[in-house]
Amino acid sequence: MESSSTPPTRAQASAALAEAEATRAKVAGDVVLPSGFTASIGAAISVQIGTAAIAVGEGALWVLAAGLAVFAVVGGAQLLRFSRSNGVWLGGLVNQVVLGAGFAASWSHAAGLVVALWAALTGQWWLVVVASLAGGTGYALAGRRWMRTYRAAPQEHTRGPSTAWLVVSLLAALSGLILMTLQP
Amino acid sequence: MTPALDPHFVAPARLTLATMLTAVSAAEFSTLREGLQVSDSVLSKHVSALAEVGYVKSRKGVHLGRRTTWISLTAKGRKALSAHVAVLRDLIDGIE
Repeated sequence: MESSSTPPTRAQASAALAEAEATRAKVAGDVVLPSGFTASIGAAISVQIGTAAIAVGEGALWVLAAGLAVFAVVGGAQLLRFSRSNGVWLGGLVNQVVLGAGFAASWSHAAGLVVALWAALTGQWWLVVVASLAGGTGYALAGRRWMRTYRAAPQEHTRGPSTAWLVVSLLAALSGLILMTLQP
Repeated sequence: MTPALDPHFVAPARLTLATMLTAVSAAEFSTLREGLQVSDSVLSKHVSALAEVGYVKSRKGVHLGRRTTWISLTAKGRKALSAHVAVLRDLIDGIE
């Protein structure tokens, strides 16, 4: 059992706390995204939006599955690169940057998807491409913004929303897309 | 009644270790060692002491054939650290 017979003086307490907080700031400051991290996530999201739109427009469920597989592979590979190069794991990065649970990322994705789906159903394929690219770009930019927010206050952004919430959201979105794809 | 300092965080290195862990979900042992600038054995001792009271947990992993250890702060550890830091701030501010 640990014990402390004499409490620290004000100066000692201040120094200990300052040292701890400075080290935390350094740890957060040293966290860097591997090159091309947000760009590849954004590109994978563009592919996912585009393939979802094609799947709904053409009624081809396998195209939807292929787009999701591309996103899963790219996201998994980038997270592996991140953890190996930084020696840390950030739940907030997974939720906010890769899975897009943040406000800006989720709205970029949703807006891109809605426009792309409408465009596919009305046969405007050029608009599918534009909406997919715009959705992916917004997603990538939201990821970069989250990293700046994280560095400013790491202790507040480490974890992000709960995994259960994300799983429910993803399942709901996926179910909606599958139902739309299977519509005659 | 005045809240007491948590004896497990009184050592400055343990306070720094736990505070570092609030910035991440988990950190590799070597990352923490470099951040704290201590030897493997010293860090092991601090991690073991905090793990013993349930403030941190560790899990083993493998990277390029090399065994790695990942350390994370538990919910109990996070709560205890917040309480300890609050007492430290009161002490610094001169609040009895």
